[in-house]
Amino acid sequence: MIDESARKTAAQCRHYAMCKIDYLDTGLCPSGPERHYVAFYPQGRMDLYRALAEDLIPVTEALVEAADTCTLCGICDKQCHFVTGMRPVKVMEALKHHVREHLAAKKPVHKPKEDAVLKRLRTIVGDEWATNDPAILFTYADDPFPLAGIQMPRYVVLPGSRDEVAAVVVLADELKIPFAIRGNGGSVFGFVFTEGIVLDMNRMRKIEFDADNWCVAVEPGVTSFELQKEAYKRGYRVNAAEPAATVCGNLVCTGTFSTWSNVYGTAADGFIDMEFVDRKGKVFRLNDKSAPNVFAFDHAMIPSPGVCTKAVVKLHPVTDDEEGILVPFTSFDKAVAFARDLSRRRLALALAVLGGHYISNFMSPSRELAEKIKNLLPEVLGIKYLVFAVADAHGREAIRKMAGTAVIDSALFRTLMLGLPRLADSELAGIASTYEGNAPLYEILCSPEMRPVVEAVLQPSPETIAGSVDEDLREFYARLYARPEMTDMVWLNMFRIVSARMSRRKHMFAFLVYVPLDKIEVINGIIAGFVRIADARKIEHDYGFLTPMDFGKRAILEYDYYIEHTDPADKKKIADAMTEIGPWLDGLAAKTKGVTFLMYVFSQGCSRKENFLYRLD
Amino acid sequence: MTSAARISREKIEKKRTDRSTRFFLTGGTGFLGSHIAVELLRRGFRVTLLARSSGARRAEDRVRGLLDWFGLSEGDRRGLRAVEGDITRPGLGIPAEDVRGLLLETDEIIHCASNTAFSERKREEVEEVNSAGLANVLEFARESQAYFFHHVSTAFVAGKTTGVCPEDLVTPCEFWNAYEETKCRGEHAAAAACGEAGLGLTIYRPSIVYGDSRTGRSLLFNAVYFPVRTALFIRDVYEKDIRERGGRKAAEIGVRIDADGSIHLPLRIEVAGEGGIDLIPVDYFTGAFLAIMEGAPGGGVFHIVNGRAKRIGDIIDYSCRLFRMTGIRACGPEEFREKPRNPLEALYDHYVEAYGPYMRDARVFETARSRPILERKGIVCPEFDYGIFARCMNYAVETGWGSRLP
Repeated sequence: MIDESARKTAAQCRHYAMCKIDYLDTGLCPSGPERHYVAFYPQGRMDLYRALAEDLIPVTEALVEAADTCTLCGICDKQCHFVTGMRPVKVMEALKHHVREHLAAKKPVHKPKEDAVLKRLRTIVGDEWATNDPAILFTYADDPFPLAGIQMPRYVVLPGSRDEVAAVVVLADELKIPFAIRGNGGSVFGFVFTEGIVLDMNRMRKIEFDADNWCVAVEPGVTSFELQKEAYKRGYRVNAAEPAATVCGNLVCTGTFSTWSNVYGTAADGFIDMEFVDRKGKVFRLNDKSAPNVFAFDHAMIPSPGVCTKAVVKLHPVTDDEEGILVPFTSFDKAVAFARDLSRRRLALALAVLGGHYISNFMSPSRELAEKIKNLLPEVLGIKYLVFAVADAHGREAIRKMAGTAVIDSALFRTLMLGLPRLADSELAGIASTYEGNAPLYEILCSPEMRPVVEAVLQPSPETIAGSVDEDLREFYARLYARPEMTDMVWLNMFRIVSARMSRRKHMFAFLVYVPLDKIEVINGIIAGFVRIADARKIEHDYGFLTPMDFGKRAILEYDYYIEHTDPADKKKIADAMTEIGPWLDGLAAKTKGVTFLMYVFSQGCSRKENFLYRLD
Repeated sequence: MTSAARISREKIEKKRTDRSTRFFLTGGTGFLGSHIAVELLRRGFRVTLLARSSGARRAEDRVRGLLDWFGLSEGDRRGLRAVEGDITRPGLGIPAEDVRGLLLETDEIIHCASNTAFSERKREEVEEVNSAGLANVLEFARESQAYFFHHVSTAFVAGKTTGVCPEDLVTPCEFWNAYEETKCRGEHAAAAACGEAGLGLTIYRPSIVYGDSRTGRSLLFNAVYFPVRTALFIRDVYEKDIRERGGRKAAEIGVRIDADGSIHLPLRIEVAGEGGIDLIPVDYFTGAFLAIMEGAPGGGVFHIVNGRAKRIGDIIDYSCRLFRMTGIRACGPEEFREKPRNPLEALYDHYVEAYGPYMRDARVFETARSRPILERKGIVCPEFDYGIFARCMNYAVETGWGSRLP
């Protein structure tokens, strides 16, 4: 019998794969690193329970194993709660219970037969690393992307080397079986699905540093978090994608962009070289005159050049005086102008214009607290936008001078974050809301002379912020927030562990557009267009972020829609919205230089950014 | 340009005596407007209240909740009609099917709706209500069959001045904030519009209004409440620090708990040598309003003020006495030149800055017109003594400074 509450939780899995990286130092689900298939991670088990509830798969050998190998250690509860607020352990319990009952009732356990293709696949990768078990297959069949349905692959293969990848590709080509490459499945845009062979790169995890050449070679199973961790240990930084995204997959898909793209750029800027297996199984490197010219860009949807089997990623230096700084603004236009100025003067490393939705979710360990802070920021504190920057001491001094107004430095940010529940306290909010001074309240908050009083009011501490989560998790959160990096803007932006919180309340459908940063009317027009289209369909929406690029000449803009991805009505709304968004953005891109919808960069992530930022056609 | 009056004074007085006057009132869910509306209903008048929905609460529910707070009997409520609307919208946002009837049946309009924000940051919203909203109400008045317009303004239209402020239209050069400025402009707009349309006009200028002097009950906790609330908030923060967290933050700033349990807050509040704050309780305001309304059928401009400025030092003493605090004291600006503000004082100063002009007010509000009317009716403004202070502040604390009110 299916537990309805567990089923609902399982259906809400966002597929961000945060349970596959040890981003909180909790350790990982024990079976995951050993067995590699998604089914042996919490995300996979969530999918399995959902599939059982919807009668999409039978109980199979692999499903029984997946259930059996869950030790109910509770690591997934901590990892998942941190970004989504969900508690998956109850789904794990429900899955184990379901399987126990099934076995106790002596019901059949499906054991799939090895067909000829599977046999050949297993010859390449080993018996353990190719399967056609429906339970395993299902965990590679869909994600919350609302515009595609379930696509059950025929096989899932986990190659362990480039040569194994090439051999699988040759076989697929011979037998005319389509295939899809899966990094961590975190694209959440329906790209990693196929009815043929899914190649999951999770076993290919080598990382090799070449310090003299300021680069690091990574295999396609290495995630952004893992790479950044290794780089940072050695005193470097890489331009990293969302933490659970694989480095190679992300580079190929869209090119890596982040708030650090202000200095590190995107796309071809991110790597020295890459190695691919093409669709015929031939290996090529990009730094080869005879290789396909992936540095060019076509304003069209085209397939990737092949399967990336290695990326040689650039390493960047770090100085020991880098800190984050936030400059509040009441006007979007002024915030953008300020960010552009910082970018063209080369004063910041990471740089972005953030809205209340992003900053409140970044800071808040619970959804409820995030909602309160989101309302409080503009209504009470007078902060509608923030320019976030990471800079060294000289840069920060310049930024303060240019801002000419109150700024939130790293120490105040830490105070605010550790005292966040008190900031949202109704009595404080009540008294703050009656403030009648001419200067916005944040100026008082940010004033250095106020710091002792602000600290007394907010009582910042790991225990204070931990008080905003479920009681049984408070001890864990108190220990977590006792770690300095958890309130360090630089670290949080390097490792990006809180970005998945944007989908905490509902699945996020992100629209990314490259824009001309010197034309605020174009940017405002794009935002207004997204608002209009969403409002017409009653889709929840919010501004995401904007990061300058290439000395402030261009920027990447994110605007987000939020949908209940299990609700057919919401799926319909998004599908309908896309019928308007596509043509609208295409039309805009055709007549406005500097506008490029990221959708056209998909699979062209290796191209030179200049080719899509400054399209000449 | 002025037009002939739409109705004679005798008829106005007769209708009021007969209780046949039909009032249309804006701002009826606000502090002053609600008190006027309830008093009119208690006296047997018919009142149409223009009310907005707010958040999830419909206008009708808001009005009902308010009348429950006043304890108004069902019998007295019979004269009330609530109409959904918004003065910032054309036609006051009143549904088309209701407007025609209202225009025909309204005799006198009482305009209380106002945005009382001081901050320059909120100028746009203040202008929207106090200027554009007023214009919409005056347009409604012009189109209606009404013959009298009662305009609730403020004594502080006098602006940045000292000395005598007359009971007459004024044109100050400077104001302390957008509220004063828009209310002053509003008086002139009302005078021009009513003159042109032949409506009688009375302008009522209250000073700073607090709760009921007899019961302490209030619906609004700004003005005199705000500095007290701020001091209490600071007290509570440091008391908690001492009792629950070892008191390190309190010690850093010089806050302590004395042997008798009172909290010592090292807080100096800057006041001018002369002047204080002109305070009137809402029961006095309501009584005065009705008295002037009845006693001045020819209209005019009337101050409803205390006339005796309350020293800030006294209010500080009352606060310390009631809430068991020490260390808070009034002082002149020269003390801060000798010893600069500590963080508590800097915070407090920022917070109450907007109220500064009213806390050291040297303006003298003429009462040559209002005083005789009020004396005839035996309406006297009580002194803001400790008893009244305690009643008002205790009520404020009990209701969470209004957060637990309907």
